Amino acid sequence: MNVSSHGSSRRAFLRSGTAWIALPFLESLGFRRFASASVPARPKRMIFLGFGWGVTKETWFPAVEQTGPGYELPAGLRPLERHRSDFSVIQNLSNKFTNEAHWGSTFWLTGANRYGEPGQSFHNAVSADQVAAEHLGKDTRYSSMVLSCERGEESGHGPGLSLSWNRQGKPVAGLQDPVAVYHRLFSNEQTPVEVQRERLRQQRSVLDTVLEDAAGVARGLSRNDTDKLSEYLQSIRDIEVRLSKEEQWLGVARAQPVEAVGMPEQAPAGADEIRLMYRLMAAALETDVTRVITYRQPVDTLLKGLGIPFTGHNMSHYSPGPRMEASQRRDAKQAELLAFLLDRLKATKEADGRSLLDHTVVVYGSNIRSIHYLDNCPTLVAGGGAGIRQGGHWVMRDPKTPLCNLWLTLLQGVGVPVESHGDSTGVIGELIG
Amino acid sequence: MIRSVCVWWSVWMVWGQGPGGGVFGAEPAAAFEPRGFLEQYCVSCHGEEKQKGKVRLDTLLPAIGDLETAERWQKVLNAINAGEMPPEEERQPRGEEKAVFLEQLSEAMVQARRRLSDSGGVLTMRRLNKREYQNTLRELLGVPVDAKDLPNDGGGGSFDTAGKALFLASDQFEQYVLLARRALDQAIATGPRPVARKVRVEVEEEANRRITGILRGYQMGGYRANKEWKASKGRPTTDFGIVDEGEMKFRQHVWDTNTAPMIDYLTREETRTGALLTIHEPNGQVAVAIPDEMPPGRYRIRARLGLSGRVEASRGFVEMGFRGKALNDAMTLIDCRRVTAPIAQGEEWEVELELPRLTVPLKEDIGPETKKRIWVGERVIALRERQPNTSEASSARYRQALETTGFGVEPALWVDWMEWEGPLVEQWPPAGHAALFFKGEGAEKNEGYAREILERFASRAFRGKPVRASYLERLVGHYRERREAGDGFEEALKQPLSIVLASPSFLYLSEPAAEPEGRGGGRRVDARELATRLAYFLWSGPPDAELQALADSGLLLREEVLGGQVDRMLASERIGEFVKGFVPQWLHMERLDFFQFSHRLYPGFDDSVKRAARREVLETFATVLREQLPAGTLLRSDFVVVNDLLAQFYGLEGVRGGHFRKVSVPEGSPRGGLLGMAAVLAMGSDGERSSPVERGAWVLRKLLHRPPPPAPANVPQLSRHAGKLLSARELLTAHMEEAQCAQCHRKIDPIGYGMEHFDAVGQWREVERTEVVQGGVARKSKEHPIDASGRLPDGTAFQDYFGLRAAVSTREADFVRGVGEQLLEYALGRPVGFSDEETLEALTREPAGGRVTLASLVRRLVLSPVFQRKL
Repeated sequence: MNVSSHGSSRRAFLRSGTAWIALPFLESLGFRRFASASVPARPKRMIFLGFGWGVTKETWFPAVEQTGPGYELPAGLRPLERHRSDFSVIQNLSNKFTNEAHWGSTFWLTGANRYGEPGQSFHNAVSADQVAAEHLGKDTRYSSMVLSCERGEESGHGPGLSLSWNRQGKPVAGLQDPVAVYHRLFSNEQTPVEVQRERLRQQRSVLDTVLEDAAGVARGLSRNDTDKLSEYLQSIRDIEVRLSKEEQWLGVARAQPVEAVGMPEQAPAGADEIRLMYRLMAAALETDVTRVITYRQPVDTLLKGLGIPFTGHNMSHYSPGPRMEASQRRDAKQAELLAFLLDRLKATKEADGRSLLDHTVVVYGSNIRSIHYLDNCPTLVAGGGAGIRQGGHWVMRDPKTPLCNLWLTLLQGVGVPVESHGDSTGVIGELIG
Repeated sequence: MIRSVCVWWSVWMVWGQGPGGGVFGAEPAAAFEPRGFLEQYCVSCHGEEKQKGKVRLDTLLPAIGDLETAERWQKVLNAINAGEMPPEEERQPRGEEKAVFLEQLSEAMVQARRRLSDSGGVLTMRRLNKREYQNTLRELLGVPVDAKDLPNDGGGGSFDTAGKALFLASDQFEQYVLLARRALDQAIATGPRPVARKVRVEVEEEANRRITGILRGYQMGGYRANKEWKASKGRPTTDFGIVDEGEMKFRQHVWDTNTAPMIDYLTREETRTGALLTIHEPNGQVAVAIPDEMPPGRYRIRARLGLSGRVEASRGFVEMGFRGKALNDAMTLIDCRRVTAPIAQGEEWEVELELPRLTVPLKEDIGPETKKRIWVGERVIALRERQPNTSEASSARYRQALETTGFGVEPALWVDWMEWEGPLVEQWPPAGHAALFFKGEGAEKNEGYAREILERFASRAFRGKPVRASYLERLVGHYRERREAGDGFEEALKQPLSIVLASPSFLYLSEPAAEPEGRGGGRRVDARELATRLAYFLWSGPPDAELQALADSGLLLREEVLGGQVDRMLASERIGEFVKGFVPQWLHMERLDFFQFSHRLYPGFDDSVKRAARREVLETFATVLREQLPAGTLLRSDFVVVNDLLAQFYGLEGVRGGHFRKVSVPEGSPRGGLLGMAAVLAMGSDGERSSPVERGAWVLRKLLHRPPPPAPANVPQLSRHAGKLLSARELLTAHMEEAQCAQCHRKIDPIGYGMEHFDAVGQWREVERTEVVQGGVARKSKEHPIDASGRLPDGTAFQDYFGLRAAVSTREADFVRGVGEQLLEYALGRPVGFSDEETLEALTREPAGGRVTLASLVRRLVLSPVFQRKL
């Protein structure tokens, strides 16, 4: 890793990184806002929702013989009835490399092989959302919003800080506190632009200083340790990119959603926390502050809030009786919350007269089916963002169809020019047919 | 239909195997010879002629030498585990044959994964983990830092010292700057010495006022409204200030049930001079609130308490904690103490605690209907009688007692007063400040001095590594900028100082590579690097002055000096950081927090007992370490290390005081050694029932050093026992019916059976009681006699728990080997590799005529080449 020790070449350092991004011009932004009514093509958005411990397999999946649009909604999805023409349920998708029976999110969006790197016991790759963010995130204040929950492993998500993994296969941290999310999305700086600009300059200056030290540390490190140091440098580069974006957006007020998101005094937990995050997500897309969102949802606190006495893991090992009932109540509550999110996205009208949901693709699923089954991952895709056929139930003929085929289908559907993702073997014809 | 039952195959697999599922040195698994099996059952479809599904197995080598071969074998394993292969219409392997094949293949895969991910002894430069970061900042600045917002380290099956797994998230840098800034704000003392205050609260004043207020207002109001409403014959309830009929009836109910307890409380003699602590209503807690304007720091809480003569002495435990969001909400426990003095006499209790930075101001919470006023906030420190840490449990107990006594539970504890005092300032300016501004208060505050301060601090923070001139120059630049912006001398230094604490030289324990890299066995670390490795191993923090001085002079490289330092460090107070860091991860103790232990079934296993049980494990380890006892003492001992509360839980007499100490256990006691510890046994449950699988797997992993392979995914599961009252042992017999389960569970479950005389919280039982619960009430129940006979994987049979413990304790060498591997992983932050064989052999060799002690393991490890080499 070449670490520049001169502030003047910091720009070059920034561009040298893989996280190089095109920075928008204020003029064009202004123009787009002004002219948006006459521009028919609305931007595409993606939401990925991951729920750790899977579902109740007996009551969440539609019957395999009922494919296409006429299928009967099973109990675990029934709260979504009013949206049935806007989503599809897809069966027989899985990640072939995943063998970890309790890692519901670690490889969900990456399809990577934990042992893919000789001499290492853990390896991961870039997640689909971060691929999308490189493309869809160019013109927004945040290239993506990564949301998460506390103690992810207890909620069945496995190692990682969120659903997102960067180009280097390193975990991306997520915001866990809805209040922090709110501020990042909608709080406007009261300080004058000049003061803000000066603050950005100081922040950059801090980064230059630590890079000066990094250059000293880098000298003489082994290859292995250089890799480790590059994680630090990457995080500095990420901040650089963010500061550059902030500079470009300096003085542009954060748009406010038509219907303000009321923030409670104390951070809620469980279902209320998820509902509030969903509200914030819908508002974030409405105001076009970002176009890619991932959310690693809490499960343990959701159960607690429902008065269920089991931990997520204990419940996931259900057998007929109280634990299975708990698992089913969890399914229904999660579906009810998803229905709420879809309501919000539908209620928001875009400049072209259609709804936000028509321009958004919402993925809802987990790498764990239930208990410790990793095949046939529960997968639901909603919205018109990726241009796929909606309203049906699809059972892939190959029982081990790569989940990454779906990610590839959706990425291409929203206009990301990629040929493959993870272990994908092609797009899913049924969805685009 | 579905074919087998893996109901309990369980949580160990959440994190793979917990840190270090090492299998080196365990008895070698039987050689993996798959060809016969493959030829009989697989090759006709997946061979030279046919390759169904493009899978060919006759060319698959049993030596799993590369990732591609590993992936192919993994597919075979998955397909057979999932019951997909051989297909139903084809010839099926017999149960035993299939079990043996699966067992060998799983074992071969574990070995192969280890081999293929073996880093060959190369350490990855590691970032300070959360614990180390906190300790390091405290040592540097003399103030505690609250790092709870930093992401958790570890996970994925490694210790939190494993460099590979210590990632840095993109916003973590900014958090480091922020946390350092907060710590510096607290450490740098520019103002006058803070004035300590001491405030005593006569707790009965608040309690009596509150209860009287509710009685006269809400209670009487409800009574009167009901009376007048009923007399009015049909007027709307709103005429009487009550929203609807439902509410009206509720108010009548509240009057009927809650009035008597309040009157009872207020008329008791003891409430004139103090407050009684009731279970739930009407006075579950008394508290003091330290005002928001007080600075963070050390505070002292005192209280005068007495025990009522009307209750059993065993109820005389009082809990202190930070109050939650309501009077009866869960508390964050600070301490628990036994009270023995009668009320007339009274006894004083004093606790010192660290008050963190205030984040949310104190609030007076006023009940919308009752007008009950309660102080809530993060600085409200409350006392209550020991009880389950949830309001449901105590309110159930209260309601139950109401039926018999009319006033609730007879109160046990009386509080005369509570007092807070602080901040307790030992020296001013504080030590951290004095170390920073080393020239004292009289020094001239100019840029030259600022430069010296920054250089000295960076050098300390970087543990003696050189501070680059260009970097120092930039730091001084930040200072200068702040000065020009109008900051004072000290204030202007805070920014560059916090940058130091977010710089890679501080955050990473870096060591330059050997020349040539990766060949020739590497180089010996220099004295400073060795001091850093040693200090972070044994103290999870930086070297102290003595160690640093020996590092600077190079003397530390001499073996006798190094050995002397290890002994000194083992004897020091800071060794507690090692115990706290190593033991819970090694033994996978976070499992204790996975479950809500059922209050209905185990009311005695509340949070105070759970805390004490957890502490017992650490204190026992610390005792064995400090007293240079054999490591095998942990398998079986004639003593336990407990306090008064845990002694009561274990039924041991004569233990007084809340401190942990060695207590002899009588002959024939199940206690003494890890197997008999409440924490270990509770971890082997799901909060309601004991789990022989959890316990068996834990014993294999942690004591016998024979970890079973990770739980396979996709094994078909069936639970056909719903609604039947089966013992844990009966439930598990199904594991033996299907090869996929039997291959592992036949080693796991029979060990767990040996511990079935312990219930889910580690209390001895003669029968196992099972029940069918509907709506929170037991509808059916049954008592099963306990069969605790079982066997170890090598075939050694035992009849009961005592036989199991005896058998396990004779396998001390295996245990020592396991501990040795775990210590090596923890100390070096990398997995044990095949190249470590010699080291481990030397480490765990029994000394002539003696047994291996924990202290000698640590000492030998530090003196071994692996600890002192950089590859």
